[in-house]
Amino acid sequence: MTQRQKLMQQIAAYDFAIVELNLYLDTHPNDTAAKRRLSDSEHKSRQLRAEYEAKYGPIVFRDSPDTRMLWIKNPWPWDLCEEGD
Amino acid sequence: MWVYEKKLQYPIKIKNPNPAMAKIIISQYGGPDGELGASLRYLSQRYSMPYPELKAILTDIGTEELAHLEMIGAMVYQLTRNLSPEEIKAAGMDAYFVDHTTGVYPSSAAGTPFTAAYIQSKGDVLTDLHENLAAEQKAFQ
Repeated sequence: MTQRQKLMQQIAAYDFAIVELNLYLDTHPNDTAAKRRLSDSEHKSRQLRAEYEAKYGPIVFRDSPDTRMLWIKNPWPWDLCEEGD
Repeated sequence: MWVYEKKLQYPIKIKNPNPAMAKIIISQYGGPDGELGASLRYLSQRYSMPYPELKAILTDIGTEELAHLEMIGAMVYQLTRNLSPEEIKAAGMDAYFVDHTTGVYPSSAAGTPFTAAYIQSKGDVLTDLHENLAAEQKAFQ
């Protein structure tokens, strides 16, 4: 597994927790333990995403001259080979 | 509205193409109990939900189903890479190939194109939630 794939796998793990905790909180909005776990996972995900985006380009597109080319660039999420990685 | 994230919910890396497997997995994409139906079911039903918690959860689950759809699409795509005509024929994928080549087309394993007839949206909270329980049970089976 490449460094890029390892980092993405870590992000996916925290993001999965975020998605599931959000679903739970939709119907249990006052559960403080769940809210704390959500904010911990969000914090970790933000850190890892910042690291990933600095190394490999944007996950969520924000317009700027240098991110435009990186946004377009392969690999897209379904691509198997990672060019230049 | 939605904002795209250039990532899969879970990374998909399939080393060995397997068109016979792709033929089965395509049903989870656009088949009767697939992810496309699931996402459209929840995202369509949410408008007439009478409680804010239900609008929230149908929006969020419907969104997650779209992320599942994208993972299944990636699986079908990777399973059908670099195939020879012989491999396509041997896997029984020739009937799919003649209409779509290796494009990812929402259909069932038997080749029925996706149809909104797979879902229901009745504008009644109990009816729609029962529809959803049944749908999840069918998808789980």
